[in-house]
Amino acid sequence: MAQTHAPPADPVPRAPEPPAPRTGARRARAVLRHWLGSGTPGRIRLSALAALVAAGLLFAAATAAMSQAREGFQVIGSGAGAKVAASSDLYLALSDMDAQTANVLLVGDGDRAEEAERIYDRRRGEAGAALVQAAQLAEGSGAEERNVREVIDGLGAYERLVTEARAAGSEDGEPSDEAVGLYRDATDLMRLELLPKAYNLTLDSGATVRVTYEEKRAAVLAGAGWTAAAGLAAVAALGWHHRNLATRFRRRVNPAVAVAAAGALLLTGAAAGTLLLQAERMRAAKEDGLDSVLALSRAHAISTGMHGDQSRFLLDGGRADTYAQVYLDGARSVVFVEGEDLAAYTAQLEESVGAYPDAELLGLLGLEAAEPSQEGGRERAADVLDAYLAFQQADAELREIARDGSRSEAVEFRMGEAEEAYAAYESALADLTRMHADAYEEAVAAGDRGLRGWGWILPAAVLAVAALAVAGAYPRLAEYR
Amino acid sequence: MTDPTPHRRRSLPARSSLPARTSLPARAAAAAALLCLAPLAGCSAVFAGTSSLTGKDSLVVGVKADQPGLGLEAAEGRFEGFDVDVALYIAGHLGIAEEDVEFTGVTSAQREDVITAGDVDMVVATYSITEQRKSVVNFAGPYYVAHQDILVGADEEDVEDVRDLEGMTLCQGEGSNSANRIIEEKGIAAELEEEPAYGDCVTRLADGSVDAVSTDDLILAGFLASDPSAFRLVNAPFTNEKYGIGIAKEDVGGCEEVNRAVTKMYQDGTAEKLLDEWFGETGLDLVTSVPQFEGCG
Repeated sequence: MAQTHAPPADPVPRAPEPPAPRTGARRARAVLRHWLGSGTPGRIRLSALAALVAAGLLFAAATAAMSQAREGFQVIGSGAGAKVAASSDLYLALSDMDAQTANVLLVGDGDRAEEAERIYDRRRGEAGAALVQAAQLAEGSGAEERNVREVIDGLGAYERLVTEARAAGSEDGEPSDEAVGLYRDATDLMRLELLPKAYNLTLDSGATVRVTYEEKRAAVLAGAGWTAAAGLAAVAALGWHHRNLATRFRRRVNPAVAVAAAGALLLTGAAAGTLLLQAERMRAAKEDGLDSVLALSRAHAISTGMHGDQSRFLLDGGRADTYAQVYLDGARSVVFVEGEDLAAYTAQLEESVGAYPDAELLGLLGLEAAEPSQEGGRERAADVLDAYLAFQQADAELREIARDGSRSEAVEFRMGEAEEAYAAYESALADLTRMHADAYEEAVAAGDRGLRGWGWILPAAVLAVAALAVAGAYPRLAEYR
Repeated sequence: MTDPTPHRRRSLPARSSLPARTSLPARAAAAAALLCLAPLAGCSAVFAGTSSLTGKDSLVVGVKADQPGLGLEAAEGRFEGFDVDVALYIAGHLGIAEEDVEFTGVTSAQREDVITAGDVDMVVATYSITEQRKSVVNFAGPYYVAHQDILVGADEEDVEDVRDLEGMTLCQGEGSNSANRIIEEKGIAAELEEEPAYGDCVTRLADGSVDAVSTDDLILAGFLASDPSAFRLVNAPFTNEKYGIGIAKEDVGGCEEVNRAVTKMYQDGTAEKLLDEWFGETGLDLVTSVPQFEGCG
């Protein structure tokens, strides 16, 4: 090891040129020797440098992965959660406004009409608030912004039609043809133009979450791998460093470097473990939480529409067949079972809900019930399915009364028992949704907590490891001066 | 694909040739999976790239070959219609030039199979979204919500809605359920005649041997547009048929991107223009606002 360093640029050409990478490696070694010196001090400086570089890589890998995790939770947590909530609130408010308008026309005058008008006004307020929020959240995305703007414009037109329809009044306790005609225009505007846009906004926030989730979770998992690799490299470099310091100086242990190696091992385990845990929390927040909340919100949105279709079915005789069919389409997308018409659907639903959890269920609520992701999810889902079945059975009775009995009896049933059955179903559905929303919020909160402290622990621990690696070497190097 | 010339392939390759064709992508996916064992970022991108619509530079689209106004093979290998134009718009949104889009005729019964086998990238063929189909394929859209309606002869004045079909002769394409909906579900006593395809029903309507044909309004409007003076569309919709864009079940990202294309198609006025171009003169009430999407995945 008495060889002197080679000058960086050797002017003497050598006959068979060795392959380029080997020259590079040799040259790098030469440069290192030039800077670090030769012999034992050089070797110690080299192992110290290796340990510092590996510790630096550990720091870089863990920092990068943790910032990916933080961004991921930001999008899946506050950002998207708010967007999904705002757009589904908007849908529910709009859909119920349209149902209440039908109710006002259906019941004519009196307390029930006043009650429906009160609910309408409250829903109008909610829709306005949700629109403002949706507009803020859509900022920067051209298509979404335009969607929100079109809903705002359309809502103005809808309200004009509703005012005219209410003013057109009733004849002998039944709404006038003019009122029904104006309501047709209003509900077409709502159901063909406004509601689809609100619904698509919810889907779009779901899409944003999915993309972010997949990217960030893959990045965090990869980051955990890189962190482990860099950390183990740091431990190995510190082990080599220790060997250079201890065995060469006939000491069994170099306390500072031994502590540094142990510390690096601990840090690597903790950082990689935290990252794996964060990836799992991200999965739980998205797949067990937000996905279910989204699906159940959509089921709720379609269900309000069905509830409104019951009123529209009674209100507009000319379109009764169409509204019954639209109701069946809605029912099929909430819980799909075989059955070509409403009677067959309800009969099959009775059988399938009775056999739950052994029955095959499709549709938004059906799939959620078939694969519950939360503990106790099956019991909650069973409650919701029972309430949904009761809602369908009440519907069947409503249609029977409408067919065989008088109109006023049917209206009475719609505003009484059918309303109660729907309210019970809505509240069971809200309980199930709440359960998933809690799981989602818990996972996001755990994700935030899990990263707390790492902002200073990581640099402090890496600096400590580096300082110990240098401190352990310093007295030995001093012996050479 | 066996024949590289665009717009030239009509029939689908025999199913027996499939294993040989799929083994290469399968091997590539296995290699990608092995790579992903290493702590590399972007594994999801590797997987997405193997199958997603978003990464393609050419497309094979399944359309109907016998549905005027929607998907019709006008000449050998040349397809035209609303569905064809919608597919081209989506391709444009995905950054794929018109000449890189290859159309192939599919029948109603083939639609799921060609998607799951990977013979086509996308099906735009009057493809109604149903829960059963959703468990096999992914649906972007709907790009239009059609309704079951009734087509009668031009001089038939009395039919105003489905209940007026009482006592009439109703023609239905084989394998279709539309006339049963009227006769069995609604209990309307009409006489049922079956023909191999709706085109044959329309021919019989023209010669007066049946009184009415009932199926999706866009399909009826397509036939009507080819001979506007012979028939009348009743405009009495009584079901919702959500026409979706069928793509591979696992391609959620591609499905979401196609939804963005459909949103844009309505926002920039292209949908209205295309609907008007293909069905504007039929008297059909057209909806020119974006439909409520089904949701991907």
